[in-house]
Amino acid sequence: MKSLHLPVEQELAARSQMLTFLRTVEQRTEQSLNGDYLALHRWACDNFADFWHDFLVWSKIPFSGSEHPVFEGAGVEDGRFFPSLSVNYAECLLRSSPDVPDDITAIAFRSEQGDHKRINRGELRHDVLSIAASLEQAGVTAGDRVVAFARNTTDTVEACLAATSLGAVWSSVGPDLAPAGVLARFQQLEPTVLFAHTEMLSHGSKRALKEQLREIVLGLPSLKMLVVLDDSVVGDLDLPIEVVRLEALRSREPLQFSALRRFPFDHPLFVLFSSGTTGAPKCIVHGAGGTLLEHLKEHRLHSDLRVGDRLYFHTSCGWMMWNWQLSALGSGVSILLYDGSVSFPDATALLKILEEERISVFGTSPAYIQLLRESEITPRQICDFSNLRVIQSTGSVLYDEQFDWIREFFKTVPIHSISGGSDIIGCFVLGNPLLPVYRGESQCVSLGLDVRVLTDAGIERSGTGELLCANPFPSRPVFIWGDSTRLKFHTSYFEENPGYWTHGDLIDLDACGSARIKGRADGTMKIRGVRIGPAELYGVVLKIPGIREAMAVEQEDRREPGGRKIVLLVVLAPGVTLDRPFTLRIKRELSLKTSAVHVPSVIVTVSELPQTHNGKYSERAAREVVNGRTPKNLSALRNPDCLEEIARLVPRSV
Amino acid sequence: MNEQAVKRVVIDWLDDNYHFGDAETIIGSDEDKSFLQNGVLDSLGFVKLILHIEQTFNVRLDRKHIAPANFDSLLRIAKHVASLPGAKFSP
Repeated sequence: MKSLHLPVEQELAARSQMLTFLRTVEQRTEQSLNGDYLALHRWACDNFADFWHDFLVWSKIPFSGSEHPVFEGAGVEDGRFFPSLSVNYAECLLRSSPDVPDDITAIAFRSEQGDHKRINRGELRHDVLSIAASLEQAGVTAGDRVVAFARNTTDTVEACLAATSLGAVWSSVGPDLAPAGVLARFQQLEPTVLFAHTEMLSHGSKRALKEQLREIVLGLPSLKMLVVLDDSVVGDLDLPIEVVRLEALRSREPLQFSALRRFPFDHPLFVLFSSGTTGAPKCIVHGAGGTLLEHLKEHRLHSDLRVGDRLYFHTSCGWMMWNWQLSALGSGVSILLYDGSVSFPDATALLKILEEERISVFGTSPAYIQLLRESEITPRQICDFSNLRVIQSTGSVLYDEQFDWIREFFKTVPIHSISGGSDIIGCFVLGNPLLPVYRGESQCVSLGLDVRVLTDAGIERSGTGELLCANPFPSRPVFIWGDSTRLKFHTSYFEENPGYWTHGDLIDLDACGSARIKGRADGTMKIRGVRIGPAELYGVVLKIPGIREAMAVEQEDRREPGGRKIVLLVVLAPGVTLDRPFTLRIKRELSLKTSAVHVPSVIVTVSELPQTHNGKYSERAAREVVNGRTPKNLSALRNPDCLEEIARLVPRSV
Repeated sequence: MNEQAVKRVVIDWLDDNYHFGDAETIIGSDEDKSFLQNGVLDSLGFVKLILHIEQTFNVRLDRKHIAPANFDSLLRIAKHVASLPGAKFSP
């Protein structure tokens, strides 16, 4: 039963960019869409090449070459957008115009230690071009991989834009990722430059990262240079490569902005990581053109972001939302970066910063909303949020009652419950100024993405099942790093449903176009907004003597931040007991070698794990059972009886 | 309510969720060591600990009256919870 949270705000809808774009399409195509988003979306899906061409022109992305052909190839797996067109991601974000002058704030920076910094667009461009000149002098060229082990600071943004302005490929992780996790990702990329912080902020204190950094550098033999992003003494690092400070790179004469080279539409821009159910993290390569088009579409049309808006999205450099919020510079938006804990010195800390920075669009997570709620904080009583016009949430499911809580205790504004992922560096479901908000629902499917649902009855336009996409879209990854035969690319996204992008999420899509994301369809877990592949846990747990087999699955639990927790099932060697010291040892090993998010809330010993007839472990079957559901297709399992034991031994959650 | 029982519950919870067997070592002999200032627990963790204490001892902790002065160390938590009327261990 749908329950209205907020009706359409007619005044905002009337001056929204979504409506402006709709009118542009109406004029060009000489058809009436009646101000109806669903009609626009249907047209955009059926005429996807026309749609993306229209949006390219409307968004005024600077480009060279020809916008024709818009698309070549057969379908979503093999097709290419704009093969004759060139762009430069950094140029698009840093350009100025009469509407987007140099003196408006580009970035406001705050930290839990009270640090403030504010730079305008002109200053940002100058810094970026100076760093780019230094990188170029150091030999960085298009296609080189430049990586970062970094905090969410202005310096990190400048490093990223400098690297990408030269056509280098950028990839970053947060400083809380253990060296083994960093190396599992970066070793595949063979980077030449590493930007890094040597310490991180942690609830009021600074934690040294030098040991971790040394391990990372020594594990990346392709590196030629380490650029240190903070002020700590680095002489004692004793590393076999050149070590310089960012300040030194920034002191060089800047490159000419107008001389920046543009690169093909599909030129690799970002590498993001996705944890599959087996093996090392997958290196997903996103192209410059696809990233720009998708982000500008999501920002301008779905979020109605424009010059004068101040965006804060809570993220680290290791999450795709960092890249997403960065691209908002391309719409003249001021972005706020925050480094540290959102709840230091207390749970109201971030709220006060949002007020002081007069944030207009606040991006958060269900986990943060839950933190405020459980702390019994009433944000609207503490702070003045008169500038705030939208709250966005992603990372996990935002429940109905959290919508209610936001309206009652935070502010009555549209809530955009958005969802997508690293695989598409964007979203499949989003907000929309032309549509009402229903409790617990995302307002609409992303414009031009022909989302379908794999239900028990087949592939449908609505219903409950696995999320598919039927038409080509520019932010599809250009390739998977190290996958020269494109076999991994094919098996990851297209093998299960040939001709369709298979995303791996479960969706409940109604005929009116609003949606609820219901979690993952495969064995991947999403804990506190972080996507975790079970293999990341197995790599640690199976090295502990006494553990023969292991299986990690997520269990829904509304008491947990993000609404999910990890349940680890283990098969022990004869004579070994899962007593308290052994349980704590497993948790400690995972905490040290992966991250705190990887630590299971529940560990249970079982006699057998579910396997298919081919001997492949079935996380999907175990996950259904620990969540109180009956797995489908039990005949695919060699040992379905083991599920009874799992159901009996794993405590039920709420 | 016995202060020792509260301390045990807090240490076990810290071990299960944050320090995995090292909680007593990290706290050391100074039971009045600040959790926040010494990295024993962050403010998000405090919220979870409060919920755990409420459930375990069947009490209600008024968030408005929880402050570092009465809740930022093992000793202060134990004294505060043990002083609450009706606190009862119900694991």
